[in-house]
Amino acid sequence: MKAFKGLDTLSSFGGLVALLLLGVLPTLFTGKYLVGVLTVAAIYGIWAVSWDFMSGLTGRENFGHSLFIGVGAYAAGFLNVHFGVGPWWSLPASMLVSMLFAVVLGFPTLRLKGPYFALAMLSSAVIMQRLMLIFWEYTGGEEGIQDITPLIVNPLHYYWFVLAVLGGITLLLSWMARSRWGLILRAIRGDEATCLAAGLPITTYKIVSLVISAAFAGLGGALYAHYQLQVSPQLFAVVTSITIITMVYVGGMGTIFGPVGGALLLTVMTEGLRNFGEWRLMIYSLLLIFILFFLPNGIIAPIWQKMRNLGRPS
Amino acid sequence: MEILIYGAVTSAIYAMLAVGFTLIFGVARILNLAHGSFYALGAYSAYVLTTLAGLPLWLAALLSIAIVAIFGVLVEKILIRPLRSSQLGVLMISLATALVVEQALFLIFGSEYRNVPAFIDTKFNLFGVDVAGQRLLTLAVATVAIGGLYAFIQFTRLGSAILAISQDPLAAKYMGIPSDRIFSLVMAISAGLAALAGVMAGPFLSVQPSMHLLPIVKAFAIVVVGGLGSIPGSIAAAFMLGYAETIVAYLVSGSWTEIVSVLATLLMLVFRPAGLFGKRAAF
Amino acid sequence: MSALLQVKQLDKHFGGLHVLKNFNMELHKGEIVGILGPNGAGKTTLFNLLTGFIPADSGEVLLRGQPIRQLKANTIVGLGMARTFQLCRPFVGLTVLENVLVGSLGPRVKTHDLGERAMHLLAQVGLADKAQQASELLSYGDLRRLEIARALATEPELLLLDEPFAGLGSSEIEALSVLIRQLHSEQHLTILLIEHKLREFMQLVSRVVAIDFGEIIAEGSPADIVKDPRVIEAYIGKQNPLNLDNHA
Repeated sequence: MKAFKGLDTLSSFGGLVALLLLGVLPTLFTGKYLVGVLTVAAIYGIWAVSWDFMSGLTGRENFGHSLFIGVGAYAAGFLNVHFGVGPWWSLPASMLVSMLFAVVLGFPTLRLKGPYFALAMLSSAVIMQRLMLIFWEYTGGEEGIQDITPLIVNPLHYYWFVLAVLGGITLLLSWMARSRWGLILRAIRGDEATCLAAGLPITTYKIVSLVISAAFAGLGGALYAHYQLQVSPQLFAVVTSITIITMVYVGGMGTIFGPVGGALLLTVMTEGLRNFGEWRLMIYSLLLIFILFFLPNGIIAPIWQKMRNLGRPS
Repeated sequence: MEILIYGAVTSAIYAMLAVGFTLIFGVARILNLAHGSFYALGAYSAYVLTTLAGLPLWLAALLSIAIVAIFGVLVEKILIRPLRSSQLGVLMISLATALVVEQALFLIFGSEYRNVPAFIDTKFNLFGVDVAGQRLLTLAVATVAIGGLYAFIQFTRLGSAILAISQDPLAAKYMGIPSDRIFSLVMAISAGLAALAGVMAGPFLSVQPSMHLLPIVKAFAIVVVGGLGSIPGSIAAAFMLGYAETIVAYLVSGSWTEIVSVLATLLMLVFRPAGLFGKRAAF
Repeated sequence: MSALLQVKQLDKHFGGLHVLKNFNMELHKGEIVGILGPNGAGKTTLFNLLTGFIPADSGEVLLRGQPIRQLKANTIVGLGMARTFQLCRPFVGLTVLENVLVGSLGPRVKTHDLGERAMHLLAQVGLADKAQQASELLSYGDLRRLEIARALATEPELLLLDEPFAGLGSSEIEALSVLIRQLHSEQHLTILLIEHKLREFMQLVSRVVAIDFGEIIAEGSPADIVKDPRVIEAYIGKQNPLNLDNHA
């Protein structure tokens, strides 16, 4: 008898179809604008999925995910502009740098119960942002690092690349979440003392899942850097972390695939709100409050669940 | 000598911020990430009341503290209390609130630095060091405020009720202590202290919408070092952090001060998670 | 035959309180031993010390001759000593089956079909029909059984049960006793059990260690313990806990 749920065929198929549709969309409505929005949406999807894998499953919410994004992006920027290294090296480099930060920050904070982890990550992200400004001679200050070379010049092809990366990461993390990894992480969320009594080295699992989460966040950061062709301290902002958390909440915590939908939805919504200009972030924050009160299970995942249940007799 | 005085001023501000933060946690188990917003609102309120309403500074200051205190009570009652069952829910909602406040300030006032007038404009010369009068006043005010708070908790009935709730909320409830009303009171004190810090420090620290972030980072670092829920711990740690930063600023450079708080936090969590005066490492 | 578990001079203070005083004990393979003591005697502290959930001040704990006092709780489970908790906290959000599965992921489990093994364990404790239920919806008695199944899943050699009968009705107590006896004989488990009510383990255990205020006050067979004057004295002044003649 199968112990672990494993990848769900219907969801995987559905995901594949969605991915193909997304890929095809810009060819139907040509123009740089749509490709741009969708590329950003896909990158946010990567960030949201990476957050969900660790924080969504274990319940240990990371309020400083922007730190991993920022260091990954800046690693790409430094390598590419200051050291003149070819752009493709950014990808593994950004992952390594983010993973390093994850170990340094995760080790002291994840051993303990309580919100130390959440707050320490928040504090670290805030400080990192300040450091980028303070050491402006090295980091470019407010303007950051400019003139990064793109990975793939054709925007449509780059979009497909990013989409493929998103698909791959979502597949991998979904599979892990439905295997013994996911079971252990969810058990950690359930009760840590009982986990210890079951023989599990919970701190190790927490740190490793943070490292995995950070690696993909950093990768997303590098992809973003090679899309925007510049990086700025704004990447480290608390708002970035909160936006991602909102996307996960909308998509459905712990579902891995839900946050992708959340990222798409919210990115598109943000674009739609462009007219509101400066009000966007305010609306986001209010939206988060609304969701926390009324829709803690999100929108995307419950809808998908309902759609599936329609197709089969109870 | 400069270090001694400037360090004291910095520490005093940090102490006002940290004590309020740790107080609301110790009593209601709420880690309020909107605490920095109270600081910001205190400063902005003083700015608005003096510049736009033309009120004398002392009146503006008192009103600001009162307004922010009431705001704090409302936030606690309406936004935080319903989510109290989940500690992370409280973190999320308070952070979201802080962001809403930041955005509101940005939309209303823009991102330029604003000027909060000082009580004392002259500089004094203390032991051979030129210090702005406002900074010295801040130090004095902080001492009085925190001292007053300490006396309040130690010597009044209400203060004993607060202590009781922080030690054993259930027992306090059975003894008829109205915990909800006490939470509101403590929140008001906490917000008021932070607003006071904003009013006093506004003249010489930066006033712009995102000014709420650093206080949270510092307050968190201080309560980790001092021990969450311990007021004497917070005061001691505030001084340690204040002086550590001042020393680093003078000996190395101003740029490196930011790292002190994060470094202190991480090191403390590795070696002594309960903090110097805390009772337990985790909740 | 050397002992499976040896406890030597185990000592613990909580602040000014001397909770466990130079505690000595030996457990041999195949025994069922009960630790009896009024509330506050130090029984759960002993368990927490033995299983690595809190650190001891001094002393030694040897499992099969290997010192384990300084090891982490999950490592000790991997060496074959499992425990249950008095306050059962199941993994919220996981099904009953998944709860047991989590226990099956340790190094001592050699089977490949974990699902099958988990179902088997649930059948043993009588929860097989509830395998897909949400674990937080179980009744108190069922939670106790789940605790035991989860502990069994780690493939222990020694099982520590922390007040397994607390809060259960008399028929549930009877059923649980039968289960424990079964596990002892069929699985060759060595069992160490805490209770503060003697009636429950009169028939179950072969040897009793009575403690009060962190020290051993008597040791012997259940029949002897009941007559021991020091044990009787320890219980007078607290409610009638021996419950020998009354029903629980």
